[in-house]
Amino acid sequence: MRRRTFLGASAATLLLSACGGNGAGEEGGGQAASASPIGGDENAPTTLVFWSWAENIQRVVDLWNDKNPTQKVQLSGQAAGDELVAKFLTAVKAGNAPDVLQAEYQSLPTLITNNALQDLSSVVGPVKSAFPQGTWDLTSFGGATYAIPADVGPMMLFYRADIFEKMGLSVPKTWEEFGALAETVRAKDDKRYLTTFSPGDAGWLAGFAQQAGANWWTNDGGSWQVAIDDPATRKMLGFWGGLVNSGAVLGDPMYTPQWNSQMNDGTIIAWPSAVWGAGVLAGVAPSGKGKWRMAPLPQWSAGEQFTGFWGGSSTAVSATSTKKAQAAKFARWLSADPEALKLLIEIGLYPAALQGQSQLDVAPEYMADQPDYYTSAAAIAKTARGFSSWGPNTNVTYGAFEDLMPKAVRGRSDFAAVAAQVQQASVADLKKQGYQVAGG
Amino acid sequence: MTTADDTTPSRPARRGGAAPYLMTGPVVLLFAVFILVPIGYAVWLSLHAMRVRGAGLGIRTEVFTGLENYLSAIQDSALHEATQRMLGYGLIMVPTTMGLALLFALLLDAPRVGGKRASRITIFLPYAVPGVIATLLWGFIYLPAVSPVTATLRAAGLPAPDFFGDVSIFFSVANIAVWGSVGFNMVVLYTQLRAIPGELYDAARIDGCAEWQIALRIKIPLLRPALVMTSVFTLIGMLQVFSEPATLRPMTNTITQDWVPLMRIYQQAFVDNDIHLAAASSVLLAGVTVLLSLAALAAFRLRVARSGR
Amino acid sequence: MSAPPAAAARRAKVLPTLILALGGVYALLPLLWVIFAATKSPDELFTTFSGRPSFTGGFGQNVAALHDFGDGRFWLWMLNSLIYAGGGALLTVVVSAAAGYALAKYHFAGRRLIFGALLAGVLVPQITLAIPQYLLLSQIGLVGSYWSVILPSMISPYSVYLCRIYAGAAVPDEILEAGRVDGSGEFRLLWSVAAPIMAPGLVTVFLLQFIGIWNNFLLPYIMLADDDRFPLTVGLYSLLNRGASQPALYSLVITGSLLSIIPIVALFLFLQRYWRLDLVAGGLKG
Repeated sequence: MRRRTFLGASAATLLLSACGGNGAGEEGGGQAASASPIGGDENAPTTLVFWSWAENIQRVVDLWNDKNPTQKVQLSGQAAGDELVAKFLTAVKAGNAPDVLQAEYQSLPTLITNNALQDLSSVVGPVKSAFPQGTWDLTSFGGATYAIPADVGPMMLFYRADIFEKMGLSVPKTWEEFGALAETVRAKDDKRYLTTFSPGDAGWLAGFAQQAGANWWTNDGGSWQVAIDDPATRKMLGFWGGLVNSGAVLGDPMYTPQWNSQMNDGTIIAWPSAVWGAGVLAGVAPSGKGKWRMAPLPQWSAGEQFTGFWGGSSTAVSATSTKKAQAAKFARWLSADPEALKLLIEIGLYPAALQGQSQLDVAPEYMADQPDYYTSAAAIAKTARGFSSWGPNTNVTYGAFEDLMPKAVRGRSDFAAVAAQVQQASVADLKKQGYQVAGG
Repeated sequence: MTTADDTTPSRPARRGGAAPYLMTGPVVLLFAVFILVPIGYAVWLSLHAMRVRGAGLGIRTEVFTGLENYLSAIQDSALHEATQRMLGYGLIMVPTTMGLALLFALLLDAPRVGGKRASRITIFLPYAVPGVIATLLWGFIYLPAVSPVTATLRAAGLPAPDFFGDVSIFFSVANIAVWGSVGFNMVVLYTQLRAIPGELYDAARIDGCAEWQIALRIKIPLLRPALVMTSVFTLIGMLQVFSEPATLRPMTNTITQDWVPLMRIYQQAFVDNDIHLAAASSVLLAGVTVLLSLAALAAFRLRVARSGR
Repeated sequence: MSAPPAAAARRAKVLPTLILALGGVYALLPLLWVIFAATKSPDELFTTFSGRPSFTGGFGQNVAALHDFGDGRFWLWMLNSLIYAGGGALLTVVVSAAAGYALAKYHFAGRRLIFGALLAGVLVPQITLAIPQYLLLSQIGLVGSYWSVILPSMISPYSVYLCRIYAGAAVPDEILEAGRVDGSGEFRLLWSVAAPIMAPGLVTVFLLQFIGIWNNFLLPYIMLADDDRFPLTVGLYSLLNRGASQPALYSLVITGSLLSIIPIVALFLFLQRYWRLDLVAGGLKG
């Protein structure tokens, strides 16, 4: 499973400057004056269909159904993946899309430009203040809000504390130390690797790029600027290229049976991941319970405090739903209601809502040796920065990364050069689709 | 595909009034609705594209673009590379499948060979395993950290092969397809062999021909129609190879999202969300498939005509 | 030359038998692996040698976990697969037998056109058709229903082709003529004269089509949104997809794969004696 995210840390661009709010539409529950704002009685009896891939999300849906006997939500478990967006778009085209959809943040632009999502601006007023502004910006485009953030994934470094201690290693503070450490590990024990660089996970790379200060897309006055081939991304890719090509770290994909086995048996002893990583480790490396610890991601310059985002999703309402008012009510509840948040936490999601994050006090069972896990996580989350906007063809950019990075790993070629190739592919596609692109 | 027309023993003679139309009606209707109309729709899609209106994110609208998609598809270097890889894979898969199927079929048909029934069933068994699951099973066997093969070789102090190398990947993918299809082709060929009257071999045996000579000189020539048919279907399978590399992809860097033509088409449709370009590419692929199949059959007919049959 | 000496006969036996046996081992290797893997509990799966089964009760544990998954959803998937494959294959046989018989036994205008078009249909990749089929079926409001998988599966050019060959080869024109003299209608002839003669061939068509639908992934994946309607392939895929970060699900997928192969193997062994695969080869002798 690939988890991807982005966080619009700054809302400075024209596109994102006027976020959400209640100004444009009428109150939820009023009659629809035009096609766009949501009309209808949000408390009217109904049955909603909800597409989601989150494990055990049924528990949250059950809670809703207990509390809202006249407004049933019917969960339809989906396989997450690239196909889901295409499947949803086709369903919208055919007129049988679900009412509510779990959507990865970076897939929102594709859904919006295909006219598949309902503008929720007029009904999200009550919950807007529950989220940090940066998180809220993830789901707002051109002044309209299209989804409600549900969970986020600020990036962190997980490491095997017991092996680090046994080998006399210290937790790297900077990427430079991280690189040196990788070589030390190889020198001390040729069965172990510090980590693996998984080239097929574009969302993971995007998180690293965000940390390094990249801003892949900006939109000024209608035309797009693409900066994938920027110094920050090149620096990040070049760093990993050096480590992989010298054999200091592995270049194998994550989330394979092999990776599971290596994470479990101590072949791999560190994993740059996101806050939800503890839950993955619990499943992947049962024998590492209480041995893994979490620290901030290494920094590019000593003394800095930044991280990126990997993973997370939002709740959206489809444009063709006939029960939009009720659907929006459910979406609000799912992302911001205290009881719903409690359950979201229990099924392993890191809530986007501030109140949800503050409810987390007891560390996950797997990380029992690190009792302040969530306190540290919340502190790290505050240092997260994302792109100011996601591009309209992020799927193409990701696809290009996922094709070209594995080739670079196999060919032991210059990783930084991939940035230029992806930049070229992304810009060409934008132009082909009819977007204005500034520069090149 | 029309060879069967001429080899069918009894020729249709009756007109039968409305009866034949009523009998073929359901199939023709289903064919029209679920194959012809979708093909027509795919062709329509291939002549259109999504273009953006408005600033910022904009809204996509469908516009007529003529042959633009076909031009993009023909010039698509990823599609070219995918085609080359598909041919590399086919170069291993098709001869191995057909060779093994023929070998096993001949052995099953040969006298004095033991365990025929058990072999026939076990070799056929993989055909019943869905491609996705078969790939998963082989994937576990290929991955070094969990592979029983690698573990056994290492334990014996031998070097373990890298199943996901730049060259070995072709063999690894082809192996999965071979595993799944040898049994089916073997049974087809074997049943055809059984239909050959045994007296044909008696004379040869009296002349002192060894079994392998009988196989080479009598059985294989008689098997030719069945061999051509199964080969053509194996060739079509090669052109449409998808589920094996697609299921294997998450396990290795060696297989990209556009590894073979159908994966490239799938990527266009489901990753890039460009269903229009995907339609154009698949119309091209279908066209090539039709041409290749017709060429293979024409070549076969030509040889049959020459040999005076 | 007289019969070969005994020693030669024995020698001739060893090598071919060995080659065949090797073929069998090759076919069984991954299946053995899945059987071994299904005996391992989730904790053992990636930590113990995979070329040997475990006897720690892992298999029972896995089957129980599979049984509990989503309130018995796995069995629902299996039932769905049986409905799609069984129902679809049965209907395919009915329409294909009628069409194949008509194509073989009547000389009517458009016969060659129908047959040629059907065969060309084999050559179109399913990916090309799946999305248009989806849009089409949603027009009639069938998407997500059992029919959305069964109806498109019913048209199988290959099955029609097999039925045509079989009807042409196995049903003698004389019997049909005799029936007509007795005053039987054309449909009665098809139903009570031709169909019984064609039965072995129809079993073959049924089996091939059953396996084809049972193993189909893309069509149900596109058509079905509700996981209560999933067949095994799509259900196991969605499990595997989530299993990447939850390896406990791998054990479920492996055990599920093993269990999903069993019905089809049983069906195959049961119907084995009725197989007439020779008609696949394009000719039928005798």
